[in-house]
Amino acid sequence: MKIPWFYFASPSTFYRLAGWMAPAFFVLAALLGAAGLYMGLVVAPTDAQQGEVYRIIFIHVPASWMSMFIYFVMACYGAVSLTFNTRLAAMMARALAPTGAMFTFVALWTGSFWGRPTWGTYWVWDARITSELVLLFLYFGFIALANAFEDPRRGDRAAALLALIGLVNLPIIYFSVLWWNTLHQGSSVKFTGSTMHVAMLWGMLLVALSFWMYSIGASLTRVRAIILERERRTHWVRALAT
Amino acid sequence: MNVAAQRLPAEAPAGSFPAAFAWAFSRDMRLTIRHPGETLLVVAFFVLVASLFPLGVGAEPQLLQRIGPGVIWVCALLAAFLSLPGMFASDYTDGSLEQMTLSPHPMSGWACGKIAAHWCATGLPLTVLSPLLGLQYGLAGDTLVALAAALVLGTPVLSLLGAACTALALGARGGGMLLALLALPLFVPVLVFGAGAAEAEASGLSAAPHLSILAAGLIVAAMGLPAAVCAAVRIAMD
Amino acid sequence: MKPHEFYLWMSYGMTAIALLAEIVALRVRRARSLQRIEEERDLEAQD
Repeated sequence: MKIPWFYFASPSTFYRLAGWMAPAFFVLAALLGAAGLYMGLVVAPTDAQQGEVYRIIFIHVPASWMSMFIYFVMACYGAVSLTFNTRLAAMMARALAPTGAMFTFVALWTGSFWGRPTWGTYWVWDARITSELVLLFLYFGFIALANAFEDPRRGDRAAALLALIGLVNLPIIYFSVLWWNTLHQGSSVKFTGSTMHVAMLWGMLLVALSFWMYSIGASLTRVRAIILERERRTHWVRALAT
Repeated sequence: MNVAAQRLPAEAPAGSFPAAFAWAFSRDMRLTIRHPGETLLVVAFFVLVASLFPLGVGAEPQLLQRIGPGVIWVCALLAAFLSLPGMFASDYTDGSLEQMTLSPHPMSGWACGKIAAHWCATGLPLTVLSPLLGLQYGLAGDTLVALAAALVLGTPVLSLLGAACTALALGARGGGMLLALLALPLFVPVLVFGAGAAEAEASGLSAAPHLSILAAGLIVAAMGLPAAVCAAVRIAMD
Repeated sequence: MKPHEFYLWMSYGMTAIALLAEIVALRVRRARSLQRIEEERDLEAQD
């Protein structure tokens, strides 16, 4: 049986697929988010040292994970678009960037408001925070470069290459708390287990999954708009706008 | 003499990396020697800005010793950044860049030659001058050595990263600001480790870990970025 | 804890604002794309 692997690689077919996938992912995100927030705000106990303010962790850590993960996925789509010279992969990379930048900003903001009561300062130039800020600028650079050319395909390719070059920043962020003696605490969540209270851990994981589903929904919605813009001269798009 | 009319290596028998490297390096070095304005500007900027800081923060010796390595590194970064637009600008406008893509020699040879020449014109003078500026800041002898070592390892990485960003932004709207947004975030790890090397030495710890990471970064950058520069130039030529 | 409520509200509040802002921006972008397609189609129909 011949499997049509590249059936959805065409903008027109993918447009329809994304059309019903996006709302499904938003619903999932809402459900998981509600569950996660319930675990985090209701079930999880007060922290012995930090009191109630530690509950920022349920936003801060998932947002940080998303900021790095989305960049990685964006770079992967960039690599695919350069290797196969496809349009849709590049459009997906463009669709992911604003969501990734948003989560990076949220991670920095919530981290700042968590640092004030616990470390005594809104900002400190430690390794992880600085490299997360660099990540925010990498997202901005990607978006700026992609939109800096008359020819959108040129923007696609240049931005994809930039994303790949900037990929080296991700291990630096991830391992920075290991390499430098910083204010930031080390990893509490590893693949082998965790030292956290189980309700706190579950709250964090559920919100992280919720953010993941949200990111997929948001980027699918955005890629539909990008497809409409880029393919606006085609028959099927013209027929849509009736 | 019109250097742009110089024969391109397309007449050589077969494509070879050393030939392309030698050609690009000698051409760019000759251009730099004939028009040293760019290099002098970079050097002057470096010295000037590094001299502004003591005037601004006050000449207290302990303060200057603390901020010295960082300030000198930031100045080196900015000076390197200033020289980036000129790297491909004239070749892009007069069409030599397109000829490079058509040459039988491997394009990475040409890219490496160009980047090496850029480093000799900017990073090398900065590294050589850094001990003098370090003395201005009252840095100790071994700190100066660590600073110079860090610069000699880090400035080539800046040239490599800068070349990739410049090639990506060729002919883009937004010009210098776009280049700053692309290049400066990528420069940050080099700055952190480079300034960290000198600061470690100044506080009595060894600079060896920082220098090792800078050297590793240089090797990775030298292996991967010339290919990225070539890919970016080809994207620009389409 | 009264003082800590400020930090919690600022964090959760900004997150909510960011998510809502993104969703609103998406809707606006889609509406603008469709509008642009209509305009171009009408312009070409005049030819």
